[in-house]
Amino acid sequence: MLVKNYNALLIDDHPLIAEAYKSAFNYVENQDEYIKFHIQTAIDCDSAYEIITDYASSDKKLDIVFLDMRLPPSKDKTILSGEDLGIKLNELLPATKIIVSTTFNDNYRVHSILKNIDPDGFLVKNDLTPQELVQAITEVLNDPPFYSKTVMKLLRNEVSSDYLLDDIDRKIIYELSTGLMTKDLPDKVHLSLRAIEKRKRQLKKIFDIDSSDDRELILIAKDKGFI
Amino acid sequence: MFNLKNTSIKNNFRLLILLISITFKTYSFQIRNDSIKVWLEKSNNELDLNSKKLYLEKSYSSIVNNKLPYPLELSTIAYSYYKLKDNINFLRVNKDALELSKKTNHLYAIGDSYWNYATYYIDKEIRDKAYSNFYEAHKAFQANNSHYENATVIFGMSRIKGFYRDYIGSEILIIKSIEIFKKINDYKNLYKCYNHLALIFVDIKNYSKALQYYDKASFFLKKIQSKKLRKKYFTSLYNDIGLIYLKTNKFQKALSYFEKVFDYENLKTEDLSRYARAIDNKYYCLLSMGNNLKDVENKFLFALKIRDSIKNKAGVLTSKIHISDYYKLANDKSNAIKYAKEANTLAKELKNGRDYLTSLKQLANLDTKNSKKYLDRYIEFNDSLISAERRAQNKFTRIEFETDEYIEETKRLSEQQIWIFIASISTLLILSLLYFLRVQKVKNEKLQLEAEQQKANEEVYVLTLQQQAKLEEERIKERNRISAELHDGILGKLFGTRMNMGFLGMQMDGGTQEKHQNFLDELQEVEKEIRDVSHRLSENFDDTTVSFVTIVAQLLKDKSIIGNFNYTFSKDKAIVWKQLNEITKANIYRIIQEALQNIIKHANAKNVILEFSIQQQQLQITLKDDGVGFDVKKSKKGIGLKNIKTRVEKLSGTLTYTSTMLEGTALYINIPYTP
Repeated sequence: MLVKNYNALLIDDHPLIAEAYKSAFNYVENQDEYIKFHIQTAIDCDSAYEIITDYASSDKKLDIVFLDMRLPPSKDKTILSGEDLGIKLNELLPATKIIVSTTFNDNYRVHSILKNIDPDGFLVKNDLTPQELVQAITEVLNDPPFYSKTVMKLLRNEVSSDYLLDDIDRKIIYELSTGLMTKDLPDKVHLSLRAIEKRKRQLKKIFDIDSSDDRELILIAKDKGFI
Repeated sequence: MFNLKNTSIKNNFRLLILLISITFKTYSFQIRNDSIKVWLEKSNNELDLNSKKLYLEKSYSSIVNNKLPYPLELSTIAYSYYKLKDNINFLRVNKDALELSKKTNHLYAIGDSYWNYATYYIDKEIRDKAYSNFYEAHKAFQANNSHYENATVIFGMSRIKGFYRDYIGSEILIIKSIEIFKKINDYKNLYKCYNHLALIFVDIKNYSKALQYYDKASFFLKKIQSKKLRKKYFTSLYNDIGLIYLKTNKFQKALSYFEKVFDYENLKTEDLSRYARAIDNKYYCLLSMGNNLKDVENKFLFALKIRDSIKNKAGVLTSKIHISDYYKLANDKSNAIKYAKEANTLAKELKNGRDYLTSLKQLANLDTKNSKKYLDRYIEFNDSLISAERRAQNKFTRIEFETDEYIEETKRLSEQQIWIFIASISTLLILSLLYFLRVQKVKNEKLQLEAEQQKANEEVYVLTLQQQAKLEEERIKERNRISAELHDGILGKLFGTRMNMGFLGMQMDGGTQEKHQNFLDELQEVEKEIRDVSHRLSENFDDTTVSFVTIVAQLLKDKSIIGNFNYTFSKDKAIVWKQLNEITKANIYRIIQEALQNIIKHANAKNVILEFSIQQQQLQITLKDDGVGFDVKKSKKGIGLKNIKTRVEKLSGTLTYTSTMLEGTALYINIPYTP
């Protein structure tokens, strides 16, 4: 049997975590002697993007990427987070399998990541155990996707939900929940204040709220799993 | 020459005044007054001199002893004494009359008393004194608007001036007098005045002018009602006119006028002195014409005899001069000198300067031996006469001038007084104005200060709120930072460690691995806890509304302790306090503070309810208490309620309140609220 070589990229600003991923790959190697991993690491967006473009410009194939969401942004500020990097990866190396590994477990962010990156693996660091990590690697390589339990719960919740909220609605509620005022929203959401107010009224109608307070809206939206 | 006795004028008038004055006396004095009136009337009617005096004395003592305010009656009594030639009593009573009239400020009586004096002095031929009394009387009558009396006394003054040959002064006065008499249509006196005026012109030898005035005199004379009086005066007038023609040597004309005098049928029986004068003048005229010398002598002597018999000394004097003239013409020098000497002596006795001079001249002509002596005496006397006249004239001028000066001074003083009054009033006004302005300014300053204070308070409050908000913000930031640090840094490291240890553990043997796994699970639990802590830290939106409501709640709590009441505080969750601006919040806070203060001060409430609610874009603040309440209609708005109203208006809100006595007060404030 031919030994299979896999190119892997680990993007995480914590060297300890990158070390853990390496251990996981080693473990997989040890388990199956026909699998060989060639592992590179990047600790910020710039170094990661460099490696990615290297692969894109050569005929080498990048098989699997561990992508942390919270990363130091690139120097030219074009890539601000792991999410942006994921989008770039999808563009440049569509065949590469991405495993998002994040500490985010709030519904809004998870939803957003699923939507924007559509990763082959989605690991929430809180849930993650070494066994799961190994499982995630093998499953993503052989039969993607692999989602952590938290992500699975969210997806289930969303599917069963009666409410139809688009991304902008979600973003509005999310930003409000961080303590932002309605009048500051146009900078974040790229909509006029009137349009935002209208959406808010619509949202309150959907959630059956008569209070003019946003607090109720946020609490219910959180309760329903939108953020 | 001038008849200076105007007693008859006074006499007639006296009774009239008396009657008028009596009617005006107050009732309380009526009876007494009546008795006085009766006595006076009796004294007038009694024929017996002693009983007349008795009644006068009775009236006088009744007035003086009872201190009755009847100065006019006193002066009437004085005048009655004067008529009875009782000079001692006259002076005594008139003095009292003047004093009383001055004391009671009875102007008419003052004038009357002075008039009495003037009459008395004229009689005594003390003319300067008479003049000054006339002058005082004139002032009093003028002030009292007694026209007739005023004109009469001016006439008297004019005559005195005429006597002293102050013709211009006399003329001025007589014209004054004429003006007044014309006003009151007193024809008799107008006649007399014009007559006097004519005499002045005779004296200054302006005969044509004199004739003109006689013409005027006769014009008014014709208007006199009484036929008898008219005739009497006309005889006098004809005589005077005749004298003018005599002096201008128009003897024929003079004679015709003298003849006219005899037309008055009663002349001989009624007025012997005039009759004698008429004869004397007529034959003097005939003498001047050179006729009937023999007849003239007889007639002259006849006239002299009449005049002698009625003791008409002035007439006797004239007669003697005329007779002397006749003898001179008849070349009977000794007789001429004799009569001239007699005339001279008489003239001296009568103090008739002009006739004295005439007789001296005559003597100088006749007595050639002593001619120089007479001429010297003539010159000397003439000079002395002139200087005496000058002195008198000066004296009159002084009297008037001094009085004028006095009047001027009084006027000046009263003007000064007015000025002082005006000045003090205006000073007072200015001072009070200044005081008022000052008070106003202080008030304004106080108000301004209060307003500034209030503004400063509000600013402090707003600043405090802002500071609090900032603090809150910083706190949130710091919490977020801690949260992020926990989440990203510590959690990441923990996660990495756990994973690595997990892979290490996979190489261990069974028992150890199990234990190892347990620790890893434990570590995962720790991670979870840290994550939860981190999340809770970042869940900060709950806290943002806190500040204002907590402040109000704190206020309510504090006041409830002071005012010893229970309170309920409810607020609509829909109110987004963050969206109300700080000024509004500051005002709401102050309003609540003020209202609570009112409750503590006045209401004596047990329960207080504060409610914030939203109704149709309005933030409604309701503050109810169950205190004693107040009468909304009657009660004047207190400063507290006023302040609340001002603040509410500042927020363009509305304030309503209801209150029931002993049941409590409710305050409703609506402020526009647009989230």
